[in-house]
Amino acid sequence: MHISKLQLFNFKNHESLNLELIPGVNILTGNNGVGKTNCLDAVHCLSNGKSYFTSLDSQLIKHGQDFFTIKAAVGNAIDTQDTTEILLQFDKGKKTIKKNGKNYPRLSDHIGFIQTVMITPYDIELVLGNSDERRRFMDLLISQLNTEYLHHLMVYRKAVEQRNSLLKAWSGRNMDDDLLESFDQKLIPSATLIHQIRYSITQEIIPIFKRIYAALASTDELVEINYSSPLHENAMQDLLKLNRSNDLFAERTTAGPHKDDWVFELQGNPLRKFGSQGQIKSFVIALKIAQYRFFQEKLGKTPILLLDDIFEKIDESRAQRLMELVESEGFGQILITDTHPERVEKHLSQLNGEHNHRSVG
Amino acid sequence: MEFSSKIVSDAVEALSGFPGIGRRTALRLVMYLLNRPEMEVAKLAESLIKLKTDLHLCTFCGNVSDARVCDICNNSSRSNGILCVVEDFSDLMAIESTRQFSGRYHVLGGLISPMDGVGPDDLSISSLVQRVENESITEVVMALSATIEGDTTLFYIGKKLKSLPVKMSCIARGISVGGEIEYADEVTLGRSILQRTEYNL
Ligand SMILES: Nc1ncnc2c1ncn2[C@@H]1O[C@H](COP(=O)(O)OP(=O)(O)OP(=O)(O)O)[C@@H](O)[C@H]1O
Ligand SMILES: [Mg+2]
Ligand SMILES: [Zn+2]
Repeated sequence: MHISKLQLFNFKNHESLNLELIPGVNILTGNNGVGKTNCLDAVHCLSNGKSYFTSLDSQLIKHGQDFFTIKAAVGNAIDTQDTTEILLQFDKGKKTIKKNGKNYPRLSDHIGFIQTVMITPYDIELVLGNSDERRRFMDLLISQLNTEYLHHLMVYRKAVEQRNSLLKAWSGRNMDDDLLESFDQKLIPSATLIHQIRYSITQEIIPIFKRIYAALASTDELVEINYSSPLHENAMQDLLKLNRSNDLFAERTTAGPHKDDWVFELQGNPLRKFGSQGQIKSFVIALKIAQYRFFQEKLGKTPILLLDDIFEKIDESRAQRLMELVESEGFGQILITDTHPERVEKHLSQLNGEHNHRSVG
Repeated sequence: MEFSSKIVSDAVEALSGFPGIGRRTALRLVMYLLNRPEMEVAKLAESLIKLKTDLHLCTFCGNVSDARVCDICNNSSRSNGILCVVEDFSDLMAIESTRQFSGRYHVLGGLISPMDGVGPDDLSISSLVQRVENESITEVVMALSATIEGDTTLFYIGKKLKSLPVKMSCIARGISVGGEIEYADEVTLGRSILQRTEYNL
């Protein structure tokens, strides 16, 4: 699946933009601020129904305008005659998505029709930011593969929220044990399942990640991902018992999968402390491409790869190997942005495949 | 919106506090009322006042009723030994209209939800325990929503009834009647498989 035509109206800085794209590698170049990243974000919106950067749709309307649309012709790799038109519109506070002119009954019915994996300079937060960032990344990744996981995640979050309110409400009084247990028994099965699925998916994704990192870095840098959770040692039931007095004192649930983290390591040391900027960036790229490969394997779908400023901070040989990697068999449509037309051209000129260079602005 | 009349403005203000009614709709309702005969408006006002002055909650089950004891609790042909526990009287009405249940009810008046400031003491849970103890109840059917609050309340009540000689059951949850498996959500479907029932010819 690929986008053959992208049309933007009043989307962020673009009043009206038409882009013809090819199924392979597409390069968007232009100076700072011309709207390259915004083009990728438009594709992300078409895929996920929302921006990569904000959840406020009104911020996506070009200043001074009152609506925006994103229109795309989506081509089928096998049957080239078969194109689907997707139209996303935001007008008067209402967002609609149309497929071949017909509204979806629910926006969520569209999600999954176009798959994307996006890599932007902001993603280094995955390494440098706090554990929320990593949980969000993993939860999103797993939810896309497993709807049961999403259900348990929502049950767990709500049950913890209720339990925390309970702990607060009973502050200073003797806790009604039956009442606390009522919430514990509700969150235990979901917590257990969340931990199990996180564990098995992490185990599955690690070898894919390591292979890609090795291909990209081409050194013997050792990378590792450690899923850290107190549930490795204790069942949720026991964990709640162990932390009972802590919880009563803190007036919130202090231990559980909502505190899980993934520790990224380079040569046995924490990446966030000891990684160089290029190493951190390489790690993130490899992680996201692993996610991409994982989708391919699990869902049998080839996402569109959106690479924003991908050559910043990584050295020439890594950039070259990255291009070889993404151009190799199995990767579908790719959109790359860069401020230096010559730099991308140089990297791509040595490769076989056809590529499409567009300047924005 | 500026009104030339404080009376109109007060009425709009009062109506726009209703769920789902904004100021524009409230104004339309006021215009409508202004065009109706006085008798009719008086009747409306009276029926609203009566909700507060004359309506009772049944002393046994907590159902809304015009008398101190509701028609269901008063009905001697309904079986005494079985109680159906519901969140509120609209759930009671829903079950009643199925005509599949011939026992009596117990209305909790809500579900446990600390986030909304609702604890067990705000609900008629202790009166349920008393009824089970005093009214020789043999079965309690829990008919609560399949939400976190519903499940928590179910468990809590289960704890309270555990030591009493009463059977506790809860309504089946699964694929809707006439529903196609293909369209059922995975969680419901998974649950239906786990809680499958024996098929008898
Ligand atoms: N709602 C909006 N209305 C108008 N302009 C907007 C809106 N949202 C963002 N912009 C502007 O769009 C411009 C282009 O942003 P974008 O990030 O796409 O640039 P870019 O081409 O990727 O630049 P760089 O090379 O610096 O990464 C920014 O200057 C931003 O202020
Ligand atoms: Mg940019
Ligand atoms: Zn009654």
